[in-house]
Order: sequence, then structure tokens, then C-alpha cells
Amino acid sequence: MGPVIESHGITHEYPDGTTAVRDVTLSIEAGERVAVIGANGSGKSTLQLALGGLVDASAGTVTYFGETTDAEAVRDRLGVLLQDPDDYLFNTTVREDLEYGPSQLGMPRQAADRRIERLADRLGLHGLLDRPPFRLSGGEKQRAAVASVLAFDPDVLLLDEPFGAVDDRYRERILELMTDHEGTVVLFTPSPDVVPEVAERVILVGQNGSVVADGSVREVLTDVSLLREHGLRPPKTVQLFDGIVEREAVPLTVSAAREFLGREVR
Amino acid sequence: MTGLVGRSAESITGALRGVFAAERVAAADGFLQRRDPRATLCAVAGLALAVMITRTLAVTLCFGLVTLVLARLSKVPLRRLFARSAVVPLASAFVVLPQLVLLPGETLVEVLGVAVTDAGVSYVVLFTLRVGTGVALLSLTVMTTPFSAVVAAMRELRVPVALVWVIAITYRYLFLFFDELQRLILARNSRTTGRSGVRGGWRDARRLAGTFLLRAIDRGERVGRGMRARGGARAPSPYGRTRALDRYDYALVAFAVATLAGSWVIRWGL
Repeated sequence: MGPVIESHGITHEYPDGTTAVRDVTLSIEAGERVAVIGANGSGKSTLQLALGGLVDASAGTVTYFGETTDAEAVRDRLGVLLQDPDDYLFNTTVREDLEYGPSQLGMPRQAADRRIERLADRLGLHGLLDRPPFRLSGGEKQRAAVASVLAFDPDVLLLDEPFGAVDDRYRERILELMTDHEGTVVLFTPSPDVVPEVAERVILVGQNGSVVADGSVREVLTDVSLLREHGLRPPKTVQLFDGIVEREAVPLTVSAAREFLGREVR
Repeated sequence: MTGLVGRSAESITGALRGVFAAERVAAADGFLQRRDPRATLCAVAGLALAVMITRTLAVTLCFGLVTLVLARLSKVPLRRLFARSAVVPLASAFVVLPQLVLLPGETLVEVLGVAVTDAGVSYVVLFTLRVGTGVALLSLTVMTTPFSAVVAAMRELRVPVALVWVIAITYRYLFLFFDELQRLILARNSRTTGRSGVRGGWRDARRLAGTFLLRAIDRGERVGRGMRARGGARAPSPYGRTRALDRYDYALVAFAVATLAGSWVIRWGL
């Protein structure tokens, strides 16, 4: 299958001199589920933009699907969801926003209609399709933005905080959509709690914009001191079981914790 | 912002933001909503051109009447149409106001020793009415046809891609421009207490203008990325909503062509 995204020493410096991404080299394989975590201001969003070809790196290169460094050439295969849904919803109705990606990227009308219909069902958007995005609540905008990136069925999803102001019910639906996605998913989040539910690999970005850890979910999320050192709180189950059970046995999700406790209590 | 300037900016941006947002009127079952977007676009372009070339008050009023009839047939609430179309003609009236006293003609009234002439009054009234009718026609199109359908119709009518691109981007950015201004005013209002006088209002407005400029540039960049993320670097290609043209579509276009020809003849003769 091979890597879908490979970065070699990418660095991004803003005009004010701030280095948001520092010498990042990584490779994301096809079908992988990766979470990029880091504290606020660590440069996760800039890294997402650089990997998605939406900002030019000051140094280094990003190769897509092992064939090109031009993100525009593979734009129909890259689904980049920006952090703020207000930056993503720029059309006059939600329906036009959902159609924007598929139409611009050449998806046939009927296929797009079917896909939009399914996404609107799953994300509860049917009553909102003819409304202007600016009249929606924060959670509704977030759902519309998630549907907009999924609408053109990209191979690789680069999602920056896709849960935003979404309530628990739709958070679950977004998680399901990410799980159901057959391609690659890269989630950028400051919240390690959600990571075990979607990812198998975690990349930890430090405060200076460089990668400080890259490993399995268990390796990174159970390293409590490493997470705290970089301004993150470990997942709640890790906080609960840390020091009580072996690191390899720490449950990473609430359901795993319930199972563990059930076994131990019996 | 509690001053007059702040309140005015708030109401104007609210109204203008509404102008650039298609709402439920587009989903109603009215005359223009049932038309093929290509026919609507051609007809409105023809009527707007006819309004632009006319220099006669009676003809301009006729075009105003046609606009109102189209609005009624399309189930567009007239109050909403007026609200959406009023700002631009009022602003343009303000710009041409000096013509009241600058154009030579018979004096109608003297204000502070300055004569307001009949030629000046007719110029300002005619100009404002022409702008108002033209803007009302464009508002009518936007209110009854989804913007993506308008863009798709332009592409199908072989309007040059560069022009379609400029119109599509301008329209979207105008909408975001007013959205950003509205958000900025809301944020300031939420942290402002008490009332400020006219001087305080102007001071607030100056500060607001500086912040707004920076925020608008920043938001423009971010939205630009949002567009590129979904193929915005390619030429606009929204899904068309065209269908087989029916006799009403042809009638509408024929009517527009006839009025354009009539307007031409009235102004320049055969």
C-alpha cells in the first residue's frame, strides 16, 4: 500500500518569526489511524495545514501517495477539515457548502447527492440544508463542516478538532463516521481522552513544534510524565489506573475500564 | 458599541449580511423559482441593462413596477425586498446629493443661500430610482435562485471563467466580510457598558475599523484555505440546476429582450 503522506524535515515559520512546526519528519501509511496530540499553541493546526498542502512549509517537503509533492494534484484524495467551521462554511446555504467539494473535485452529481443524503441523515442536517451557515449554532456548524469534508469521499482525512462544540450524541456519530471511513484518518486534537477510540498510533507534538513521541496509543498515552511535561492530561482511565496496575494492563477507554473492573470485582 | 455610529454599523451590517444570504424564499414555489437559472439570469441581466440605459423617469418607474410584479409572482415579501435593496440606492443618493445644487436649472428652493434646481432634483431622483431598481432586480435573483445555480448558469452560458471566478469569490467574500463585521460588533457590545455620546461613538468606530481590517484579512486567508481544501483552486464548477427550457422561460427572456430594445429606442431612437 505504501505511505499516503510523507514529510521530510518540514518547518513552518510565520512572518512574525514564530516557528509553529519544527523539522517534522513522519510517514503515514494507507489505512492508518493516527492521532496528533499536543497542547494549545504547539503547532498542531499548522502541521495539519502543512501536511494538507494549505500552507507552504518554510523548509522540507511533503510527498503525497508516494508520487507528488503538489497537494493540488491530489486534492480530491485529501480531506482537510479546518479547526474553525466558520472558515469552512463560506457558501450561502448549508446544501451549497456540502455540494462545494464534490462539484469542484469532479464527483458526479448523482453520487454526490446520494452521499450528501446519507451524511445529512447521520449528522442530523436535513432541517438545516437550506439555511445560511451563519444562522446555525456552533455544534450545527461543526456537523455541517464534518459533512462537507466527507462529502467528496477523500482517501485521507486530516481532521483538526472535529468534535468542536458538538453534543455527545453527534460526537458519537462523528466517531462512527471516522471508524467507518475506509481510508486513512489523521486526527489533530488537544484531548487525549478521545484518542483510544479512533487511533492506533499517536504522535505527540511538543511546545516548540517538534515531534517528541511517535508510537502506539498505549506507549504514548500511558506515559503520564511525558504527557504532563508537554502540557497534556492523560486520559481519565489512565489517571485512574496509573500506579495501580501494570502499564500494559491500564484500560484506555471507559468500556475497557468497565470490563477490567467487572473482571476484578468478580 | 452603544453610540449612534455603533448602532448604525450594527444595523447596516445585519441588513447587508442578509442581502448576501439566500434564505427560504429560494425554496418557495414562485414564478422565478420555477424558471431555469439560465433564463432568470439572461432576463435579469437584460432588464438591469435596460434600467441602466434609460434616462426617463416614467420608464424607470415602469421597470420598478415590473420588478414588483416579478417579486409578487415569486412570493418574495416586498418588505424584505425593500430592506435588502434599500442600502445601496440610499448610499448612492448620498454620493450624488451635491448635484441638487450643482446642476444648472430653475431654482425650486433656496437653502442657506444655495439654490436647489429642478434639474438637480430630477437627476438625483432618477439616479437613485435607477440604482434602486437595478439592485432590486439583482436581489430578486439572489433571493429566488441559489447562488451556486447562478454560478453554474453563468458557466453554461459560456461567461468567461475569469469573470465567473471573480463574481463567485467577490460574492462569498462580501458575505464573509459583513459576517466578520457583525461578529466584531457583537463581541464589542458584549463587553461595553453604559452609553457613549457621538464623540465616543466615533472613537469606538475608529478603533473598530482598524481591528476589523486586520480581522478581515486574517479571515480571508483562513477561508481561502477552506476553499482550497475542497478544490477552490480550480475554476468554479457548481452543479447546474438547469432543466429543459419551457415556454415561460422563453417568454421571460423575450420580455426582457423587448424591454431592452424599447429602452434603447426611447433613449436613442431607431
